Amino acid sequence: MSDPLSATAAARATDALLRSCGGRQVLLRMPAPATAGDVTEQLGIATPQFQDIPLAPVAFRKARAVVPEAKPAKWEMLISATAVQGVVTSLGYASASVLFDDAAGVLLDDELLEIISATAEQVFGQPYAYRLEVLAPLADKN
Amino acid sequence: MQNAKDTFYTMLQSRLAAVNPSRTIVVRGTVRPGLLVEENELPSASPPTDCFRLRWTKLQVVSVAALPLVALECSLAYTTAGNTGNVAMDRGRMLAAMDGELTAALTTAPRSAPKLNYAAAGVGLSPAAMSTNIFWADPVFGPVIATDERLERTATVQVYVYREAGEL
Repeated sequence: MSDPLSATAAARATDALLRSCGGRQVLLRMPAPATAGDVTEQLGIATPQFQDIPLAPVAFRKARAVVPEAKPAKWEMLISATAVQGVVTSLGYASASVLFDDAAGVLLDDELLEIISATAEQVFGQPYAYRLEVLAPLADKN
Repeated sequence: MQNAKDTFYTMLQSRLAAVNPSRTIVVRGTVRPGLLVEENELPSASPPTDCFRLRWTKLQVVSVAALPLVALECSLAYTTAGNTGNVAMDRGRMLAAMDGELTAALTTAPRSAPKLNYAAAGVGLSPAAMSTNIFWADPVFGPVIATDERLERTATVQVYVYREAGEL
């Protein structure tokens, strides 16, 4: 059952928890908005620019303790729903799932991590955090 | 061949927009008529619904004549889950509407368009007209594939074009 007041309180508590767990900032790499009326982008002649959008607080951990040989490490990120909703609103996306679907990846200390999945963690009918499963580049297995 | 692909896309996009102006998609924050070329967009795990997704699948070149004839197979996939307000119970009607729009766009005369070169085009810059036309056959509609509440159909259409001298 949806309870906006309790949901807001839970989102704020999550933000505080993420900060206390060493929450940091990551950059979400998004393609820049398309140019209206520019057919060359639709035809693949011109390619879009990318913009890096800060998301904080974010806490992350390795999803698997042992990384198999020749397999990239999987990381799990918990991102504040407050921060995500702010980006969804400012960029005019329909939902957070569309935002993460369109993103080119997550930039962590100049390393671009591929987004495998994004899940909303909900309480009182609203998300308080987003769980992102990301893949490190194959060259960085540790 | 690329000029033919570009010309067919822009022709179909303008015809579909004329048939149903309200069928639009939002691509990277910009509203466009409801047709996109998959190979020209950023990769996406979930294809957009209620719009037409164009793919170029097969290619055949007949080079016996002075102007080689090229046959390109164009695949147009479209998916709908109906209106959420109608609990998706109108998904069949919405798919039928898309069938009708595509049929109207592809079977309206003329069934040809002047081939255009978009290489130097841009915002405010028109494409250069070439010497020959592109033309196309009737669309062939595949079976409806139902996945949960989603209905999907793929139509194919053969597009023909003459390869002009100096054109790749």
